[in-house]
Amino acid sequence: MTMCEPRAARRSAAGPPLTGFVCVLLLVCVSVASASLDVGNNETRRTAAAETAEDPHHPTNSTGLKKAFPVLALNYDYVRKPFEIALWILLALLMKLGFHIIPRVSNVVPESCLLIGVGLLVGGIIRAIREEAPVLNTELFFLYLLPPIILDAGYFLPIRAFTENMGTILVFAVVGTLWNAFFIGGMIFGVCQIEGAQLAGVDLLSCLLFGTIVSAVDPVAVLAVFEEIHINELLYILVFGESLLNDAVTVVLYHLFEEFSHAGTVTVADAFLGIACFFVVSLGGIMVGAIYGLLGAFTSRFTSHTRVIEPLFVFLYSYMAYLSAEVFHLSGIMSLIACGVTMRPYVEANVSHKSYTTIKYFMKMWSSVSETLIFIFLGVSTVAGPHAWNWTFVILTVVLCLVSRVLGVIGLTYIINKFRIVKLTKKDQFIMAYGGLRGAIAFSLGFLLTDDNEMKSMFLTAIITVIFFTVIVQGMTIRPLVELLAVKRKNESKGSINEEIHTQFLDHLLTGIEDVCGHYGHHHWKDKLNRFNKTYVKRWLIAGERSTEPQLISFYNKMEMKQAMMLVESGSAARPPTHASSVSMQNIQPRESARGRAIPSISKSREQEIRKVLRGHLQNTRQRLRSYSRHDLLVDPFEDHVSEVRFRKQRVEMERRHRVYTYDDGESPRGRAAQPRPGPADGVSLVSESPPGLGARGPDQEQEVQEEKEEQEEQDQLKLSRCLSDPGPNHNKEEEE
Amino acid sequence: MGSRASTLLRDEEIEEIKKETGFSHSQITRLYSRFTSLDKGENGTLSREDFQRIPELAINPLGDRIINAFFPEGEDQVNFRGFMRTLAHFRPIEDNEKSKNAAVSEPLNSRTNKLMFAFRLYDLDRDDKISRDELLQVLRMMVGVNISDDQLGSIADRTIQEADTNGDNSISFNEFIKVLEKVDVEQKMSIRFLH
Repeated sequence: MTMCEPRAARRSAAGPPLTGFVCVLLLVCVSVASASLDVGNNETRRTAAAETAEDPHHPTNSTGLKKAFPVLALNYDYVRKPFEIALWILLALLMKLGFHIIPRVSNVVPESCLLIGVGLLVGGIIRAIREEAPVLNTELFFLYLLPPIILDAGYFLPIRAFTENMGTILVFAVVGTLWNAFFIGGMIFGVCQIEGAQLAGVDLLSCLLFGTIVSAVDPVAVLAVFEEIHINELLYILVFGESLLNDAVTVVLYHLFEEFSHAGTVTVADAFLGIACFFVVSLGGIMVGAIYGLLGAFTSRFTSHTRVIEPLFVFLYSYMAYLSAEVFHLSGIMSLIACGVTMRPYVEANVSHKSYTTIKYFMKMWSSVSETLIFIFLGVSTVAGPHAWNWTFVILTVVLCLVSRVLGVIGLTYIINKFRIVKLTKKDQFIMAYGGLRGAIAFSLGFLLTDDNEMKSMFLTAIITVIFFTVIVQGMTIRPLVELLAVKRKNESKGSINEEIHTQFLDHLLTGIEDVCGHYGHHHWKDKLNRFNKTYVKRWLIAGERSTEPQLISFYNKMEMKQAMMLVESGSAARPPTHASSVSMQNIQPRESARGRAIPSISKSREQEIRKVLRGHLQNTRQRLRSYSRHDLLVDPFEDHVSEVRFRKQRVEMERRHRVYTYDDGESPRGRAAQPRPGPADGVSLVSESPPGLGARGPDQEQEVQEEKEEQEEQDQLKLSRCLSDPGPNHNKEEEE
Repeated sequence: MGSRASTLLRDEEIEEIKKETGFSHSQITRLYSRFTSLDKGENGTLSREDFQRIPELAINPLGDRIINAFFPEGEDQVNFRGFMRTLAHFRPIEDNEKSKNAAVSEPLNSRTNKLMFAFRLYDLDRDDKISRDELLQVLRMMVGVNISDDQLGSIADRTIQEADTNGDNSISFNEFIKVLEKVDVEQKMSIRFLH
């Protein structure tokens, strides 16, 4: 799932599928060995370990018999727990690796299915040995496995799309989930009353509880499946946003029904309390997350001297936000999302380039591991868990889930389309209905049910069946369906300065028009928020001069840096790259032919500025790349073309050359002539196209032109980064430094 | 205020505006009351000062240009028809309008007309091209005073270089459309006028 595209090249070159199968078999054996190791050998090891454990602690043997000094001793008990954990994680990752070696299977079957399959296999083998398998218990899932995935999703959430569709997402999350829960619960209760005696014991509240558990769309499953089909951003954010925000509803309903299934009755007052609880849970969760997010942003302002621990702050503050919300039974997921969203713009402005990369990679790594483990454990728990198969109940559940989802989507879309500017088409509705996958959250909630609920086994079986059905059947068929229906795919466009400028332009325009109409709409409030952010918040949370940098400038700097890096690695550094995509070269060449300006319109002061900027920026450059898809690191054009080693080599070379320059400049006779002219005046003369200005500078420049021509070839490197030159805001500050 | 507004606006006028711009009856009435509230001189037209009195427009970087967009070439007053005609560009595109045949003239809020409106805000001298200077002016307005002309210059160069396909060092309307083809203009340039 993570590396589908580049592996495609490798897949064709991979050996025959036989090798792949052998690998998988080997891995399965490893897993079985690990599972049996911890349980099976415990008996024998424990006694042996006890004996041998005595030796290091009691060198003088109290029994009187002097044993031979043990050259090799076995003490498995000591490392048992971490050993098991590490082995399971290793198993999960080896599985993941194994799948991408087998060429054809990964194309058809989504990775989540394969992982569940492996889990089933391992679980089956463990059961065959009659050992105890580790189960996906609630604590493990909610406290350790779920947060990394949610944090990763929340941190890289496409904010613009999310806020633009917020209304739709909320309606689907809240109303849709409520509808699902009550519809499924009610219908099951109804059918159970009609059916034979075996199901009569299921009371209404239990049914509603079950309906709640099974109705929530699961973010993990949605991410796992939607990532691979690269659907367009709107649908992605609608389904995924819904899966995130319905957590609050699920939490409230779950606790409500669980409380009352013990008490027996529900009154109207309880219903009102439930509604109040919903607001507390969701808004409280968001607030907790926002507070931690601001704390994290504030902390990152001061980390300029301890860059190494910067990523840890992001992770720890987010995790604390999650745990703090869970303490009060608030929605942990919403807290985590709020924390990531709040923290991100400020943290990214503060941290170094390397820290940013670290944060991004670690998040993706953890979320990937978590996801793999979740699916494998799901498979293992399926085999291990207590099951009570009841044909009616299970089939009913699966059918009802589908039906209620479809009805919910259609009904809600009909209402929502009245308020949307861009309506949702039938195709969109279909994908949304089909994409409502259930996953491990439902399983864990089911597991959380207290054991006195005799329906628990039956519920668990039904939940697992629904999960398997949605993940396997719907997950496998959604890709061909998407292609069949020709649903719009994600547009893989690189960031374009045009789009950025025009989008901002349109934002301002629309805000103005809204003000003329006296209509306080979406743009008005967004503009107000931006203004508030710029005047108050940024000053507190962003270190140094970056706090006043306009968004357009940061965007432009990013792009130019990206471009410069690409050029550095692709062409040789001594000559300007000849292929047409070199931006700054084209900037200069056509202009010179069109306007008769000399190529090196870089005066001495500009040179100095460039060097200063390079000195500063080369250490502090960052890349911010749009990444909507969690695992799709390869949309990053930089990583597409560059291998780490080559880039490092080039960079070292570039720095070396740059250092040669600063040394040279002091010595050369021209150095004396270089007087730093004031920035703006210089800028104006470069920018202005008025002929008199040009003519006046002509003879002046000529001499410099001749002299500089030799330097040009070596200076091309610097010219590439000319676009980086940011003498404006940084100029004075750097001089002060 | 509401009743006074509707008596001053004759039904035939409302019908004409409806046909020309596609707004609904209630939207037209509501916008008319806004028009009259802005019209301090109470002479049925708005002048530039009336617009400048809107506080949020004063802090909008594009405020002046937006105001100018309401006034037809060379005039200083805009009546309600002109007001509505400009606002019609921002009406959301409806599904049933998309299927209208080409024989009917394009409605004011079609995608092309929306983009033309935005283009004209860049292209002040109306030569159907956004030159480097015009782009620089817009950038300067959006970015503020702290950034040097140098850097703005390179941004402008980069922008033109990205968009320019016919090499004339300026952005024509077609190039403008092409650059924005991935942007969801229908949504970005629409205001939800409440019914």
